[in-house]
Order: sequence, then structure tokens, then C-alpha cells
Amino acid sequence: MERVNKTNKTARDSFFRNLLFNPDFSRLFILIVMFAITAVLQRNFFATKSIVRNINSFTPLILLTMGQAVVILSGGLDLSVGPALSLLTCVLTSVMKVGSPVTGLYALVVTFAVAMMIGVINGIGIGYLRIPPVIVTFATSFIWLGIALFLRPTPGGETVDWFQAFYKIRAVEGAPQFFKAFGEVIPPALILVLIGCVLWYIISKTRTGRYIYAVGSNNDSAYETGIDTARVQMQACMINSVFIFLTALFFVGQNRSGDARMGDPLTLKAIAAAVVGGIALTGGRGSVYFALVGALILSFVSKIIFFANIPNAYQTLFGGVIVIVAIAGSQLYTLSGRRAVEESKLT
Amino acid sequence: MSIVMSIRGSAANKIFDRYKKLIIAFLLIIFLFVLGEITVSNFLSIGQILLTVKLASFIALFGLCQMVVIAGGGSGLDLSVGYAATMTAVFTASIMDGQNANLWLAVLVALGLGIAVGLANGVLTAYFKLPPLVVTLAMANILQGVINVYTAGRNITGRPSPVLKIIAAKSTGIFPNILFILLIVTPIVMIILSRTKWGLKLFGSGTNETAAHLSGVNVKLVRCTAFVVSGVLASLIGLLLIGNMGIAFKDMGSNYVMPSIAAAVVGGVSLTGGDGNYLGVILGAIFLQTLTNLLVALGWGDAGKWTGFGIVLFILLIVYVSNRRSR
Repeated sequence: MERVNKTNKTARDSFFRNLLFNPDFSRLFILIVMFAITAVLQRNFFATKSIVRNINSFTPLILLTMGQAVVILSGGLDLSVGPALSLLTCVLTSVMKVGSPVTGLYALVVTFAVAMMIGVINGIGIGYLRIPPVIVTFATSFIWLGIALFLRPTPGGETVDWFQAFYKIRAVEGAPQFFKAFGEVIPPALILVLIGCVLWYIISKTRTGRYIYAVGSNNDSAYETGIDTARVQMQACMINSVFIFLTALFFVGQNRSGDARMGDPLTLKAIAAAVVGGIALTGGRGSVYFALVGALILSFVSKIIFFANIPNAYQTLFGGVIVIVAIAGSQLYTLSGRRAVEESKLT
Repeated sequence: MSIVMSIRGSAANKIFDRYKKLIIAFLLIIFLFVLGEITVSNFLSIGQILLTVKLASFIALFGLCQMVVIAGGGSGLDLSVGYAATMTAVFTASIMDGQNANLWLAVLVALGLGIAVGLANGVLTAYFKLPPLVVTLAMANILQGVINVYTAGRNITGRPSPVLKIIAAKSTGIFPNILFILLIVTPIVMIILSRTKWGLKLFGSGTNETAAHLSGVNVKLVRCTAFVVSGVLASLIGLLLIGNMGIAFKDMGSNYVMPSIAAAVVGGVSLTGGDGNYLGVILGAIFLQTLTNLLVALGWGDAGKWTGFGIVLFILLIVYVSNRRSR
């Protein structure tokens, strides 16, 4: 009898322990808590207007985090995300001319080509030349910054009117009523995120998706089994570029200008968000959708800090502290979780 | 006899191998000066060279921070040096207030700040096993935040003590005084890195972590101290920066971070750790400063400077670090 009780107890213990150390569960739990706190603090949290506003302010980080997550999964790390984003906004606003709607299409094509170039160059450095990803993207980040400064030494530039469709369809003159109504219900930002999710869903079902995990887990083994590891890492960088491209569309739609320095703070946030979302910085482990959860958690945290009425001067400081705490916390959590699992296996 | 000869031959080869990257860096500098002389008039003159060397000294000193951290291995790099220096400059400006008597207090504050920043970086990277670049980048943000908070709603007041001004800004004859600092620092650094236990442990940890660990080196502690050294050095450079500029301002150190890393790479410091010569870093710093001068003289400004630095670093990474698979 006693023995049965004891086993029952340990079984229950290990159930809770497993739940506690199930990373996905705890991430969702944290997200729900953050969501609840924000909902309590923000007035009219559930009003359509504030929902749209929240989605708009979360979107850039979500998109960049998903892109970054793909690169990290493939065993890389991209420090040039922010400057690349800035460069794309500068290219967009340099090609477009006010009053000539067709230049918007040119801008889309040219900027997409530039985005792919960025992915290819980073991919060559990481994949083919096998330079440590952090340092090679550190180097390229200054190339993007320099080119962006060439194009736009000071923030500004021209946009076509319909480009606002990426931010607020209602603001576009002459858009069909149906689209305007649609934009009121589902903000364009959400569609951009959905495009990102669908894109990754399709890729993850292909061979490339599995190769990205294989190369990230163990580059040499993947190579031995005949995978073209260099190409896979380059593809990961190009997928990241697509996400950066989507973010640039949103930014230009929102701000109607390009800025060579606006992306800088987002690099670190995207990495931290990916880590919070359970992407292992060693590569090959984690889920891109949970990276999205990580981005949401970080966004809610900054929202909560915003509600705490902290003066503007403290924002950079808190941003840095959050990143350190988030990364160190995730690492500690992973380490302790692994230890707990090992212990439960031993007993 | 022939054995002796062959040993000698291999020794000569070894020496050449050892200084190959130094020679390349030196040739690159000469190439830039020639290029400058051809495209821009009056590029090559004693005054110009001395000015270049003076400005390069600060890059070289920051490069020392990078070199120490890189040498310890573990893909170490320190992106927080710029804001660590700025923070020290901003905080000590009001302490010194233009008085020599307050310099000691300023130095103590600088040491304290440097140790604190370095220790935080070191513990997070060495003991928590977090990637150094991400940690130090976040640390740079935090320090920038601290500076923002400190300067919010008030002006940065105070001037450096006259001694610092003499050291960092003034010249003796035609030679800028900062050059003498570099001349004193260089041999000390080289002796510490190659002749002391700590230096050997540092390079050992960088060369082969496992071997160092098995032979009784506390690799984590060594890497942690490397970050502390980097923090303290950066903090002290902050004093020199304020001495040179005469005032402290928010962004005075941040532009040195990228050049300091590039200088280390140009100077042949192996990014995987365990290898590096400080003379190379100095040459790398001079190369980058010359490149800046050239790009500024051509009228390309900031955009040209960053693009140039980025491309140079990228090319050198391809040449020095790239590890292509032979198919």
C-alpha cells in the first residue's frame, strides 16, 4: 500500500516536473501571463483600435524574429538584420517617386532583388566560405549601413500613395471600398505576418526545411550524408531576407520615409526574441512558430514597461537589460531543465 | 650539420610565417599611402603621417581590448568597449573638473566601472556560455542607456585634468604624446602576453580549450579575466578620450568599436583565438585610419567610411578566416 502511494506521488511529481520543464508549455504560459497583465493595464485592450495598434507595433519584431530564427536554426546568426532593414527602406524610398504609382512596382522589384543579394552575400560568407557567422554578418552590416547612408544621409525620401496599403488600407486614396472594409477588420500587418507563417510552413514541408535543421544540428554529419550544407545555409539567409523585405514594406508603408539608422536596435531584439522562443543559439533546435511566441513575449514585456510610466531616458537601458535577462534566463532554464530530466531518468 | 641547416631553414620559415600577416598589413598601409598620393595631392607628408598615427593610437588601444578577448578563444569579441569608454569619460568629467588633484579619484572610478562592466561580460559569456557578441552588444545598449539616464535633464559638465590633456592631446616637438603611451604599452603587453603565466594560459585556452582544461587551466576563469582586462582597458581609454577631446559627450567612443575589431583582423589576430601579435593590431589601426583619411579626402564621408571598413573586413575575413571545404 505504502509503495503504491509512493509511486503515485513520484508519478505526480514527475508529471508536474515534466510540465514545468516542458519548454513549449512554459513559453505559452509566460505569454498568457504577459497577455493578461497587458490586458489589465491597457485601457480598451480589446477594442478594435487598440488591437490593431498593438499588432502594428509588434509586427516588425515578429517578422524579423522569424527570419532570424531560420538563420539560427541553420547554424548561423545574422547581426546584419537591422542595417539590412534600414538599407531596404532606403532603397524603397529612393526608387519611388511621389505621384507616379508605377514606380512603386519598380521599387518592389528592385528592393526584392537587393534583399536577395543581401541574403546571398551573407550566405556565401556563412555557408561557402565558412567564416564564423557572427563576425561575417558584423562585417556586412557595415556595408549595408554604408550603402544606406550613401542613398539617404538623412531620413526622408518619397513614397507612392498606394504603398500605405502595407500599413493602413483606408489611407490609400481610390482604393475599392471592399478592400478598405477588409483592412478595417484584418490589418495589413497581420497579413504580412501570415504571409511569413505560410512561407515558412511551405518551406518546412520541403526538403530544404528538413535540411536546415540537419545542417544546424551537425554541419559535418549533414555534409557527410551528402547534403550541400553551404547551399542550405545560403537558402536560410535568403529566407531571412524575405522576412526582412516584408518588414521593410511595413515600415515604409507606416513611416513613408527611409532611414539608414532605424533598424539598428531591432537586430539584438530579434535575436533575444528568438532565444526566448526556444531557438537554441547552437542551431538545429527550436521552432520558428515558437520564435513568434518569443517575439510576442518580448513585445508584451516592453508594452508593460511602457505602462509603468518609465521616463524615455530609461528605455535603452531597459531594452539592454531585458535582452540580457531573457537570454541568460533561457539559457539557465534550458540547463536546469536538462539537469532535471537527467535526474528523473537516474531515479 | 645538414640537420642544423634544415632546422635553421625551418626556423627562418617559421619566423616568416609568424610575421607574414604583419608584413601584409605593412604593405597594405604603403599601398594606401601611394594610392592616396596619386589620387589626392599632399596625402603623403610627415605631418599627415603623424596625425594618422595619433588618431590610429586610439583605435590601436581599443584593438588591444579586442585582442585580449579574442586570444582567449570561445569566439570572444567585445562590442561594449566603445560605450564603456564613453561612460567613464562622462562620469569622470565632473569628478576631475579640470583639476589635477582629482585625477586619482577619476582613475579609481574608471577602474571600478571597467571591472564592473568586464566582470558582467565575463561571467555571462564564460560561465553562462552565452555568445560574446550578443552579450557585449546588449551590454553596449545597457551602458548607452546608463549614459542616457545620467545625462537626461542635465548637461555633461566638467573638463579633463590638465595632465590627461597633455598626455592625450598635446605633442612633444612634432611627436604626439599619445604615441609615447603606445610605445610604453606595447612592450608591456607583449611581455605580459608571451612571458607571464596568465598570458600563456590565455593563449592556451584559445588554441585548444580541451588541452588547456586537461592541463589544469581554469579556462572559464581565464576567459572571464580577459573580459575584465578588456573592460578596464576600455575604461582607461575613456580617460584618454576625454583628455583628447577636452569635453565628454554621449557618443564619443562608439565609433571606435568597428575599427578596433577590424584592426585586430587586419593585424592578423586569429579570430578563433590563441594567436595574435599586438604589433599587427597597431599596424591594422594605422591601416584603417589611413583608409579613413583617404575616403574623407575623396569626399565620401561617413557612408564611404563604413562601406570601406565593411568591405575591407569582409575581404580580410575571406583571406584569413575562411575555412572552405575542399571538394
